[in-house]
Amino acid sequence: MSYVAIKGGKAAIDGAAAATDYMRCMNAVDEPIKLSVIEDQLRLLTSRVVSEGGLYHPKLAALALKQFHGDTLEAAFALRAYRSTKPRLLETPLQDTSKMRCIRRISSAFKDIPGGQMLGATFDYALRLLRLDLANEDPAAFRLVAKNFLSNTPEADLPDSFPKVLDALRAEGLLPPVGAIREQAFDITRDSLVFPVPRSAALATMARAETGSLLAMAYSNMRGYGDVHPTVAELRVGYLPVMLPHPVTGELMEAGEVLMTECEVVAMYESGNAGDMPVFTLGYGACFGHNEVKAISMAILDRALQKGMRDGPDNPSEDPEFVLLHVDGVDSMGFASHYKMPHYVTFQSDMDRLRTTQGKVRKSGETA
Amino acid sequence: MNISRNDWPSALCQLNAAEIKQVAATLSRDIEVRDVVLPQTGLGLLSLTDGAFHEPFYLGEIPVARAEVILKIADGREVQGGTVLVDDRAQLARSIAILDAVLAGKLPGYEQAASLVERGNQMRIQNMSERRQMLAATRVDFSLLEQEDDEDAE
Repeated sequence: MSYVAIKGGKAAIDGAAAATDYMRCMNAVDEPIKLSVIEDQLRLLTSRVVSEGGLYHPKLAALALKQFHGDTLEAAFALRAYRSTKPRLLETPLQDTSKMRCIRRISSAFKDIPGGQMLGATFDYALRLLRLDLANEDPAAFRLVAKNFLSNTPEADLPDSFPKVLDALRAEGLLPPVGAIREQAFDITRDSLVFPVPRSAALATMARAETGSLLAMAYSNMRGYGDVHPTVAELRVGYLPVMLPHPVTGELMEAGEVLMTECEVVAMYESGNAGDMPVFTLGYGACFGHNEVKAISMAILDRALQKGMRDGPDNPSEDPEFVLLHVDGVDSMGFASHYKMPHYVTFQSDMDRLRTTQGKVRKSGETA
Repeated sequence: MNISRNDWPSALCQLNAAEIKQVAATLSRDIEVRDVVLPQTGLGLLSLTDGAFHEPFYLGEIPVARAEVILKIADGREVQGGTVLVDDRAQLARSIAILDAVLAGKLPGYEQAASLVERGNQMRIQNMSERRQMLAATRVDFSLLEQEDDEDAE
């Protein structure tokens, strides 16, 4: 009702679509970007879109990035729109992330973790100096990079998966027991959040939340509007084999694999009920793709929200309603963008009211 | 072939989809192929147990393609095949379901299908080996740190 239908916009909208495509293609000497180039060479960008879109489809995420000129919010929106057109065929059995085929695995809690620490591909130790040689990369040299890396690295006798660091702490009695909750997890794609919500709703919401939003909320907690200063028990990135029942035999078979990031943090210990031994508190974060900041932020917020759900929130990052209703990128981007829509009627009304009020003030000034 | 039926799809998915479809079409040319259910594509909800408390939650959705077929050969024998993939190509799933039946029933052309699986499995092994190489190349050797500490102590 606050919007007004206007005529004459169709040609402008069609022109805007054409102009948008013109901007993408205006430099005619460029080659069109192949999706595989986006998927591989901008892999962290693709990772953001698969996790924020809530659909693990790296190729479509790359397409969405190409279509929306690298805008991750719009790309995630397009992926969500795509998923809404597809039927739900199944729900997987519970997958065990300890079976993840790691490509990176670190702990800041212990140096000696079972299986060892492996940095994998990371910028953590890189200088933040521009590599100017990449500006004009020689294609032949580019093709040699992977080949040389593999030929210079010896074959490794490593297992496919590694034990979880938390298991060792739990065996020592330093962690709370594993949850007794085995109820059906909350499906945020089918049911809206009505508070209070179970932890599974919070985890699912944060798993597809916008990275920057999660980071900002977690950062507020870390910096002072909260008390979570965690230790990363384990951060792992790897390929989770997706095990589904074979249609004929019913046995679990590997239907494919999904790249994901997972983080478990240990925070301040707490005493439980009277007589219980104090144990560390825990937080958990996970998302599709390779996105470590998101997984760590989610783990911190999971820990903060557990406290808020139990004792009531002391600060915004412990408030489930505040956190969970404001971290979705598609929701928040949509709300911000809607202000670009014509508000001619509402603004006209605002102006009318202001003129009336000014008139009253003027009149009262004259009579005073 | 010493590869479990449960690993055939992941091996075959390493190969070019056009090749899979072409071999499946060739092997089923003179066989009656009946779809138990029409090949479908859609989504699957990925459920995980969280690493902290082992509680179930949904990480997000994955594309799913699945197919189930019955092959009836000349002697009247019927063999059922099927597959489900993290993929969105229904015809690829159907082709893999046909190869699944050919392999499970050791139907004519079995050797050709088996060689595809073996080749795909080799690629899968190679892929995993490259990932392990990356891990090995970046493994942190804390023993060096301990050595320095020892020297400092001296």
